[in-house]
Amino acid sequence: MTAPLPKRIIKETERLQTEPVPGISAQPHDDNARYFDVTVQGPDGSCYEGGVFNLELFLPDDYPMTPPRIRFLTRIYHPNIDRLGRICLDVLKNNWSPALQIRTILLSIQALLGAPNPEDPLNEAVAKQWKDNQAEAIKNAREWTKLYAQPKE
Amino acid sequence: MSRSHFSRSPRGNQDPTFTRTHSHSHSSSNPINTLGLPSPPPNGRRSSMGVEVRGMRRLEQRRNMEESHYLACNARAQNYNPPVDLRLLDYVSSYDNNLMCAICRCPFVDPVILNECDHCFCRACIRQCWNTNTTYTPLGPRGDCPTCRTPAKLGPRSATSKILVNLVDELIVQCPRKDDGCKAEVRRCEVQDHVNIYCGYTLIECTGKDCTDPVRRKDAAQSCLHYGASCLLCHKELQQWKLEAHWRSECPDRRVHCEMCKSPVFHRELEMHNKETCPAISTPCPGCSSRNKRGHAEAHAKSCTFAKLAPVLLRQQERLDEQEAAQKEMSRKLEVLEGGFTNMQGILFPSQEVENADRRSGDSNHIPYLRRSLVSPENADADAPTNDFAGFDWNFSAADVRHDGASSAETFQNGMASPPTRAAPAVPGPRPDDLPEPFSSDFDLASPPTFPPSGPYASPLHHLLSMHESLRDEMTRITSALSELDGRHSMQILNENLRTREEISYLAAQTAGLQRQMHWFTSAQLQRQQGRSPTPGASGSALGGAMMDAGAGAGVEAAVGAVSTAATALRGAARMVNVGGSASGVGMRRGTSEEGRTKL
Ligand SMILES: [Zn+2]
Ligand SMILES: [Zn+2]
Ligand SMILES: [Zn+2]
Ligand SMILES: [Zn+2]
Ligand SMILES: [Zn+2]
Ligand SMILES: [Zn+2]
Ligand SMILES: [Zn+2]
Repeated sequence: MTAPLPKRIIKETERLQTEPVPGISAQPHDDNARYFDVTVQGPDGSCYEGGVFNLELFLPDDYPMTPPRIRFLTRIYHPNIDRLGRICLDVLKNNWSPALQIRTILLSIQALLGAPNPEDPLNEAVAKQWKDNQAEAIKNAREWTKLYAQPKE
Repeated sequence: MSRSHFSRSPRGNQDPTFTRTHSHSHSSSNPINTLGLPSPPPNGRRSSMGVEVRGMRRLEQRRNMEESHYLACNARAQNYNPPVDLRLLDYVSSYDNNLMCAICRCPFVDPVILNECDHCFCRACIRQCWNTNTTYTPLGPRGDCPTCRTPAKLGPRSATSKILVNLVDELIVQCPRKDDGCKAEVRRCEVQDHVNIYCGYTLIECTGKDCTDPVRRKDAAQSCLHYGASCLLCHKELQQWKLEAHWRSECPDRRVHCEMCKSPVFHRELEMHNKETCPAISTPCPGCSSRNKRGHAEAHAKSCTFAKLAPVLLRQQERLDEQEAAQKEMSRKLEVLEGGFTNMQGILFPSQEVENADRRSGDSNHIPYLRRSLVSPENADADAPTNDFAGFDWNFSAADVRHDGASSAETFQNGMASPPTRAAPAVPGPRPDDLPEPFSSDFDLASPPTFPPSGPYASPLHHLLSMHESLRDEMTRITSALSELDGRHSMQILNENLRTREEISYLAAQTAGLQRQMHWFTSAQLQRQQGRSPTPGASGSALGGAMMDAGAGAGVEAAVGAVSTAATALRGAARMVNVGGSASGVGMRRGTSEEGRTKL
């Protein structure tokens, strides 16, 4: 017998549908309410502007005591996101708190797109490029956004 | 903790779950009553003490039994009715977001306030949070506040305002067994009592004799319901006490109400109803792009001109699809045919492969022969040294034509593949520009003006057709020659046969003459013997003569046999000749018929 879905997850899912965060959508799977398809729009004014990034989000059994697991599915040129789409974000690791929610985490990720942090890199090559030649790196990020993160009609 | 408080409190007299066990234990379990039962001992102190001790022992045993029975019942009831998890309840009354725990997002359950930052959480939530993050410390659970990350610890008795506890306890919730049919809505602090004592849908032990199966409290007044029954609607076999739940949520034949149109439908037909008949579901108009509820679809169909045309449009669409499919088939066939044609052309004119490749490369000029005519010979001559592709093309085809012309006067008519043409295109496909050199030199040696720059045929297809025509002529000619030869041959055989037959008949006549002579000789000899035999004097000589005659007769007879065998042999030969003649006749007939066919 599977444990009933905690009220918290039901409530969070409902609120994500009824009051969606601008530029972010999260849709749970029909067969697994703990698995979400997430899209995040690149923030305006950043080098990811105009891109629509797909992510997958999974709530482990002991959520909210442990953080949700999130991964970029769309390729992205970012110093804090590696080639497999894993994200280097403190609130997803040690700084997780059960008072945080899916929506707050997704907002943090959107903020990370707007402010890449090459000092705490996950993707060394991109971070080096970002530090050595920022203009070139931003150009690359724009190109990758054009190449991989175009919204589907 | 409130939960443990709830689960302990209600095991009182009013709990019907335990009425049975209690009612029969109350009479004896009351210590005062038991002590009062034995009458005061009439005689000595010793005996009274012994009775007393024995009574106490019996009492103790009975109590142990009762307690174990009670605990067992309790455990079973706990199994049927696990303690209510207040975080899974549905709240009827709306509540302020400030009453919500940041961890479980429900109204606080047994709230605690962290002294360091005054943030409030459920006791269970904050304990669970810190247990997973930090190791146990003797000073009690400690960790960072989940909201503000201030280091904090949970004291042995963290004080909480009574107001806060009352606020969350007053919230109205639905009975956790609402899915089974209970419609009760109670204050949250009373929900455990409701489930344990009042809720008709709580499972309790059956009141039937020797029956330990669970039953709903509201059904417990009836006699034991644990017997087999079958659903009246779907005929599924199950126990009587489960029927109600079956009708509520399982039976495929139960009546449910369509959410859209409110009409009652069978559960198993609900899907079909939604898909096909529900009048509240909108369907697209077959003609225009508007959507209408099924109930209004007819009214719309009357007003919408497109809807009237819908069947016509549908038929049109069908025909269009059919045509498209047919066209696809045709184009596929055409492709195959074209491929076959190209192959054939490649076999017949290997020299044209270059031009085919040229054409395949997207040249707008589809007919190489015509394109060749566009290039004047002078132009080609001038172009030749520059190795322009057009020039190369012209040179190549001119050489081609020259070879054709040189090989024989009627190459185009019957010798469709003269050896030089075959030899020329040893390299298939488009050639590099430096290759046409030998051809251009060839071309220079030849006298181009004598050849019309445009070939005798307008296109390769025409060329091919003319080839085919000449081949057909050739075939006809060969056929007639063959039949002629055949006739002559059979005539010859016939003549020969006739001669042989004459000879045979001559021989036969001769043999017949010989036979006649031989016959005459034999008869004469016999007559002579008969004339001599009656005279006894000559008996000896006659005997000798007879003996001699017998020898002669045998010789004659042998000769006759030989002649007759010769005649049979001759007859056989004649028959054979006859057979041969008839065979040749058949051959002739066949020959003529073939001739006739080829003439046709
Ligand atoms: Zn809580
Ligand atoms: Zn705090
Ligand atoms: Zn109830
Ligand atoms: Zn029973
Ligand atoms: Zn049924
Ligand atoms: Zn309906
Ligand atoms: Zn219409």
